[in-house]
Amino acid sequence: MQQSAWYISLLFMALIIFVFVVVFFQSGRRTDYAPIQKKGYRIRRFYLATLLFILIYAGVISLKQLPYDQPVFAAGDPIVIEVNAIQFNWEMSSNQVKVGEPVEFAVTSSDVNHGFGIYDENMIVMTQTQAMPGYTNKLYYTFTKPGKYQILCLEYCGLAHHYMVADFEVLPNEEA
Amino acid sequence: MGNSDTALHTSSRAAQRTIRIYMVISGIVLFSMMILGFLMLLSQGEIYIIDDLVLYEIMTIHGTGMIGIGALAAAAIMWHFLSQYVQLSTGILIANLVFFLIGVLLVLIGVLKYNFAGAWTFLYPLPAMSGGAWNVTASVLYLSGMLLIGIGFILFYLDVARALIVKYGSLGKTLGWPIIFGKSKEKYGPPPTVVASTMVTIVNLTAMVAGATVLVINLINVIAPEFTFDALIAKNLTYAFGHIFANSIIYMGVIAVYEILPRYTNRPWKSNKIFLIAWNMSTLFTIIIYPHHLFMDFAMPQWVLILAQILSYMNGIPALVVTAFGAIMIVYRSGIRWDMASGFIFFAMLGWITGVVPAIVDATITVNSVMHNTKWVPGHFHMYMGIGAVSMIFGFMYYLIRTEAAYKDQPVDRVSMWTYVLFFFGLCGSFLFSGVVGAPRRWAVHAPEWVPYDKLGALCALFVILATATFVIRFLSRVGSMGVRVEDVPLLEGDA
Repeated sequence: MQQSAWYISLLFMALIIFVFVVVFFQSGRRTDYAPIQKKGYRIRRFYLATLLFILIYAGVISLKQLPYDQPVFAAGDPIVIEVNAIQFNWEMSSNQVKVGEPVEFAVTSSDVNHGFGIYDENMIVMTQTQAMPGYTNKLYYTFTKPGKYQILCLEYCGLAHHYMVADFEVLPNEEA
Repeated sequence: MGNSDTALHTSSRAAQRTIRIYMVISGIVLFSMMILGFLMLLSQGEIYIIDDLVLYEIMTIHGTGMIGIGALAAAAIMWHFLSQYVQLSTGILIANLVFFLIGVLLVLIGVLKYNFAGAWTFLYPLPAMSGGAWNVTASVLYLSGMLLIGIGFILFYLDVARALIVKYGSLGKTLGWPIIFGKSKEKYGPPPTVVASTMVTIVNLTAMVAGATVLVINLINVIAPEFTFDALIAKNLTYAFGHIFANSIIYMGVIAVYEILPRYTNRPWKSNKIFLIAWNMSTLFTIIIYPHHLFMDFAMPQWVLILAQILSYMNGIPALVVTAFGAIMIVYRSGIRWDMASGFIFFAMLGWITGVVPAIVDATITVNSVMHNTKWVPGHFHMYMGIGAVSMIFGFMYYLIRTEAAYKDQPVDRVSMWTYVLFFFGLCGSFLFSGVVGAPRRWAVHAPEWVPYDKLGALCALFVILATATFVIRFLSRVGSMGVRVEDVPLLEGDA
């Protein structure tokens, strides 16, 4: 997902920079504005239609895969792990699951806002939700690879924010 | 009503002097805040380690200072040009500055003397629950300072609203409703500056109400912790304030684009129906899309979050299709005279629009679930703020010293401008890629995997700061000799 976001952004940013460079090099010679406007408005209609198509397409595709209340990607009831964030620690009812087991992280906080971010061994974000006092956010996830994972705080919560890290292990599932 | 009503008023000497003071302060503070940003990168990049407490204090000052000074400078741009069309109060302009300076003083005492480090978002209930890092006095000073700054801006926008209504009859008229709804046969609405000022006035007064509310809630909670409030509602209020207030910096700054490019190209920028619809869209969307900051708050009603994604996508359309396209069209084969003012204004549009791309990407819920609160976020907003809004501010500064102090660019200015833009893109690229590889924002210490990109960012930031020093020193050295009439200075190619 991150790589896709990066390359899509690079592509469109490069396109915009290209257009600005072309306009810059075409700015020296003065011609009448009226024909430019006439032609420009025609191009703009096409540009708007293209942009709308891209945005609607991206919207439809992306809104099909929302992280909220999504069905857990495996059969059976999820294993519920209670998570309570407290400056500057994660209190978790369990820190082990098996590959393929659907997990429901029930995340809350007993003081300020925190961010419950799950990182893999390469320090890449897998998924996240906020930990907020007075609310329980349910984050569903099914791990597909065994290994050592980490929980990092992803909402600034005070001076030891960056020490708010917990280990989490995903074991191989021999039944799977 | 129409674009014929240009330059009706001339600002008083006191007003002109106040605008210069606004810009002098803005230049110095922007430069100072950049140095703080550089220090954070040096520490994250393990080049020069800063104590955690100090780094989070620096982070709080950097965020508060950049948003605050961006708003102050952009407000000066708006006031400068809008005062040509409507009768604004110089007293209120001065009052806003006084409130701002007193507020900044309180904020600085709260942070530097009493160690407040709750970030510029002061997310409830963090000011009251610092984990022992700062005390009640620190939070009260910081929050009161922010409240005073807000009061100044409320006065400022109320005066703008008053002046617009006195001149045009209503804010609906200054948003072009009679033309949009076919009640008027005029082809063009009020000048773009008037339309943009109306939009900013509406959205920012909304933001101020939300901001003042959550500031007062925090203040009471800090003084009397037994008073508690719903954290989710407080977060909504915080982002309703923060999102709108930060974004309005660009919408005020873009007035410089509307005013300066036509003067340099001798081509009019008029508010036709499409233009007016775009600004009405921006008015509505800017107010209601803030929940895209709460995508990871699963307790929020889902329909609100889905709507926030859809509307965030649509919010890109006015900027991408109307303002950016208009800027490109007005420059294309115009024979424009490229100098520091016109150059910065052109680069500003480039920075704004390129920054919209990663912003829209991040406004996608599925992307946000792996990018939220990573450095991808400062990556995109540094692009449209640093290259976009700040270029508008620097462009305006150079416009002022060109038109009012007859300043002619030196080669060092131009080299600095290119340096600024190229290295700022490098800086934003390092932020964005840090987000891709998982670096969280607002972390004092980074994992070894993220450090190389911090080093790259620090290098880029160094060149950005060196370039900025040129602009600020140039403005400071010329501001004292301002006073030449606008008409005396040629802006078009071949006029000199």
